[in-house]
Amino acid sequence: MRTLSICAALLSVALCGALNAEEKLSMSDADKKMYAELVDNNPAEMDVAEGEQLFSAAIGTEAYAKMVGVKEKDLPAYIAGFPRYVEAAKRVVTLSQTIQMAMADRSQAVPKLESKEMLKMTTYLKSLANEQKTNIDVKANKAMKEMMALGQDVFEQRRGGRGLSCNSCHSADIVGQRLRMQPLPDLGASVTAAAGTWPAYRMTKSETTLLDKRFQQCMDNALLAKIPLGSKEMVALEVYITNKTKGNAIQVPGVKR
Amino acid sequence: MRKMILLGIATFLGAADLQQVIESPDASAILKKDALPSAKTYVMPQGCISDDPAAIARGQYIFHNLNGKETKEPAPEGLVKILPDGKEKQYGNCVACHNIEGAKGYGNIGPDLSNYKALYMDSGVRNGTFVYQKIADPRVDNPTSHMTVNLTNGLMNEREVCDLASYIVSVKK
Ligand code: HEC
Ligand code: HEC
Repeated sequence: MRTLSICAALLSVALCGALNAEEKLSMSDADKKMYAELVDNNPAEMDVAEGEQLFSAAIGTEAYAKMVGVKEKDLPAYIAGFPRYVEAAKRVVTLSQTIQMAMADRSQAVPKLESKEMLKMTTYLKSLANEQKTNIDVKANKAMKEMMALGQDVFEQRRGGRGLSCNSCHSADIVGQRLRMQPLPDLGASVTAAAGTWPAYRMTKSETTLLDKRFQQCMDNALLAKIPLGSKEMVALEVYITNKTKGNAIQVPGVKR
Repeated sequence: MRKMILLGIATFLGAADLQQVIESPDASAILKKDALPSAKTYVMPQGCISDDPAAIARGQYIFHNLNGKETKEPAPEGLVKILPDGKEKQYGNCVACHNIEGAKGYGNIGPDLSNYKALYMDSGVRNGTFVYQKIADPRVDNPTSHMTVNLTNGLMNEREVCDLASYIVSVKK
């Protein structure tokens, strides 16, 4: 635990200096080395450990399972199916949003989606589904079907200062091409496995990042107005992108450039 | 004290209350405001494409840079880095997708624009009107284009589109 935190601190100093200037270029040999080191010694593991403490103290897996209405032993497979329709929510929600519900259910102060506690607890909770295959069911019910359709709309909507959509850079016909030397990832490919590898430690940001937060970073970079975490459109986008990776094994926390 | 109050509430917490605590802000207004106007066909202004070195220099600068904050070299005459409202000026960042003479760290989402005059203009497959329209609004010629829109959304003004077109069709060393 201690060695991990020292390593994280050292790394972030090194990263801040070295990476910012190079962010738009693809990885140099030094970056590749750093990336490999991060994979061996992922600083996000600390967030998982802290998330476990927070989650166990405030909720616990037993109470969480009860709140969402599944058996505790079925939690890993259940968690691998998010975003999903949750009866107690009466809508399609993300894992983080169910933590908000569980906190209220346990009479705890409800953390904001943007908060560090939420980041840690979500990363921990998702890690319970490690080795499970993402099993989102976008045809499970009317609500999921609607969210899938909305997610595709949001993904394909050209907007913002440059008139780009997510699809401008992530459509099947251009993935693998380069944007300023940076290869465009296929969000559904098993090497990227976007849904199964987030939350992840982002090397260029030196912090653990949730999938929806990663969407916001692309919006920022491409001059699309940032839509807020938890909004219907953001959850829908997560449904749409998660479905692209359906079947890939979950390996959380990931490490990303 | 606080805990006790919260515990008191707990006994009354039902499904409806759980729905209430889910953070779910409205994004539709943001998306509506951010929407892109539909594709527009333009008439190239008189004297748009020129061999004026100042215009070509501006076009080159817009082509190779992302925005005023990230760009180290001073802006050529007639271009600013910071807008009157204090925000940084956004440039074209065309090099993110296109190679061209002298490009550093270019991308390949769009076609290579090197030697454009000889390959595309002199051969007659392209003309100034096409280049102007492509930069202003690429959707007219190609509705599923992955290219950025530059004039219809006000990212650039007419003159800046002309500067870019002048740069692309100029003969480079
Ligand atoms: C202008 C191009 C561009 C646009 C527009 C864009 N992206 Fe990206 N996106 C990228 C690039 C380049 C990367 C890889 C960056 C890296 O490896 O650091 C990326 C990475 C990602 C990743 C991480 C993939 C992984 O797991 O490694 C996700 C998720 C993502 N984008 C989602 C989106 C969404 C959602 C939108 C729209 C809101 C969007 N992107 C818009 C260029 C873009
Ligand atoms: C996100 C990627 C992207 C960016 C940024 C981009 N382009 Fe393009 N560009 C493309 C693609 C893809 C095409 C080919 C498809 C098409 O014609 O719409 C293209 C085509 C072109 C063509 C037509 C070439 C020909 O003769 O067929 C010109 C000229 C051009 N771009 C100029 C620019 C300029 C100037 C900028 C910056 C203001 C720019 N592009 C920014 C992707 C991009």
